[in-house]
Amino acid sequence: MQIELALFAHLTSYLPPAGADDGPGSSHARPMDLPDGTTVGQVIARLDLPVGPRIVFVNGRHAPDSHSLANGDRLAIFPPVAGG
Amino acid sequence: MRSIMRLNMSTLSITTEPVPDAWARYGGRALTDAIVFAEVPPMADPLGPEAKIVFAPGLLGGTSAPNGGRLSVGAKSPLTRGIKESNAGGQAAHALAKIGIAALVVEGVAADADARYVLKINADGSTEIVRDDSLAGLGNYATKDAVDATMGDVKRYATITIGPAGEMGLKSAAVAISDPDGYPNRFAGRGGLGAVMGSKGLKAVVIVDEGLPYLAHADKDAFNAAVKKFANALREHAVTGQALPTYGTNVLANIINEAGGYPTRNFSEGRFEGVDHISGETMREVTVERGGNVKHGCHTGCVIQCSRYFVDKDGHYKTKGVEYENVWSLGADCGIDDLDVIAELDRTCSDLGIDTIEAGVTIAVYMDSGKLAFGDGAGALALLEEVRKGTDTGRMIGNGAEATGLALGVEHIPVVKHQGLPAYDPRPIQGIGVTYATSTQGADHTAGYSITANVLAVGGSVDPLKPEGQAALSQGLQIATGMLDSLGFCIFVAFAVLDIPAAFEAIHEMAEAHTGQKWDADALMQLGRETLTMERLYNESAGFTAADDRLPKFFYDVALAPHDAVFTVTDAELDSVHDFVAETATAMGISKP
Repeated sequence: MQIELALFAHLTSYLPPAGADDGPGSSHARPMDLPDGTTVGQVIARLDLPVGPRIVFVNGRHAPDSHSLANGDRLAIFPPVAGG
Repeated sequence: MRSIMRLNMSTLSITTEPVPDAWARYGGRALTDAIVFAEVPPMADPLGPEAKIVFAPGLLGGTSAPNGGRLSVGAKSPLTRGIKESNAGGQAAHALAKIGIAALVVEGVAADADARYVLKINADGSTEIVRDDSLAGLGNYATKDAVDATMGDVKRYATITIGPAGEMGLKSAAVAISDPDGYPNRFAGRGGLGAVMGSKGLKAVVIVDEGLPYLAHADKDAFNAAVKKFANALREHAVTGQALPTYGTNVLANIINEAGGYPTRNFSEGRFEGVDHISGETMREVTVERGGNVKHGCHTGCVIQCSRYFVDKDGHYKTKGVEYENVWSLGADCGIDDLDVIAELDRTCSDLGIDTIEAGVTIAVYMDSGKLAFGDGAGALALLEEVRKGTDTGRMIGNGAEATGLALGVEHIPVVKHQGLPAYDPRPIQGIGVTYATSTQGADHTAGYSITANVLAVGGSVDPLKPEGQAALSQGLQIATGMLDSLGFCIFVAFAVLDIPAAFEAIHEMAEAHTGQKWDADALMQLGRETLTMERLYNESAGFTAADDRLPKFFYDVALAPHDAVFTVTDAELDSVHDFVAETATAMGISKP
């Protein structure tokens, strides 16, 4: 299956390099091929993200690390951020 | 000893009196509220002779309390027509506090409506009131330059100024406060308080604090220990120690957009396709590349350092930030995705002296009427220049989103208590909708920043798409905010305070060690409740009812993409937010003014 992975703020540098045929897109998002049923936690481990709190969205809704991803999902991960 | 300085613009006389015992624990917002509550009739004309405008540092202003130099500006608002506390950074709060002034109250109106006055408060507390009609019509930047030219060898002073919008009495007029580098770029933006200052004939206040030390404490060692504890917590928390200093407030653009709550084109969508062009990450890249400053405090004593200067393509200062709210209001809400255009709009608002949130919301409403295309940055800039010229269109724009929407027959006017909504759609982020609806201030995110638990996983977690728990969340945050605003803290300290118990302890330890009064956790929250209680009772006497504590109807009826969300918090839950007011009023021994 393929998902869209998006990383922000300090985590942006953990994005896999853009592929030649990825086309123009967000500087924060990449398509990512994964085995069916991969969980959010497994993606985080695969990316080797730094230990610490993070905020995870799947399709714009908060999701726990145990959440199983589906084809076409958008997974977005943020370090703690705030402002206003 | 803390004093209240009064400037009567009708008689051009200045008097000073001690802070009454009843207000000994009040600073900042609590003190501006107490003065407005006691002295400005709730049905008064906000721009008339009965109206007053109050400038107050927090209870810890003038000390080294980290992030403790915020200024409260209070009045009856010409925009909301209720009580208003508008909060700003900059250097004025510390300067006033170091001189010993707990509140500067400006009363009356100048006899000659064409006169422009400057109040100068010297470091020794002496004052001068100077008439200078040549300041009429000048923007904030030119006003600051003109003031600077009169200061001779004095290097250290803060200014409080208004632009032409304030002189014209426009309901979105803001009050500008000078920052540590002297730029008039920090704003008490919301609620039209610049118009209140302008209605009095007061164009500028200069506060000289050259040579003045921080204030002495009742217990110096305990104060310094608490300061250290508080600063450590702010540095340790990932938000206040890392995200905010690196990316500024605009770090929020991507996450609010991801959550589907980034109001786009007059609150018609929850995601903006151009967000990547205007996000905090992109803004940092652009600013660094151009040689701009990406990390400084908006006032002396700030350890978070989320402020920054946006520079033009040649590396010249354009404006501060740009802050998240303004990138959104002048950007996404208007369909504009060009940072340079947004910065130009922000600079223009700052110079005119109008609230950037209200201005963006107003332009978006104007665009929604069909008179200007969404995304037309040049058209938006031309509209703001109409404000400077004082044309009929300019005055309509300067009077805000509701005035503009009603004049042009726009169906969706995003306001509560006549004030434009900030940068979070209340449908997919319902906790902030509770704050918008119920705040005494009108639609104001800072009054109870439910984004914390709704989106940012700070201070717990409450599902943003569901109504459950939102009223309690907003109530707790509104009370805590009333407390922070009264002590003079930047509300961004709350991100650390909500997660690190030692940070909260440090606040009452600082308050106790500085004042010698007894402060603890309960006393802090009581201060917050008392603040809101004065505001709530005042608003009731000004004519507000439960019907004013609601969102505009379209937020209940029109579903927002991508979550197809509508606002579902019930009226009863909204009405529960102020369930502490009657009891608090009794304990305070006050009733409706």
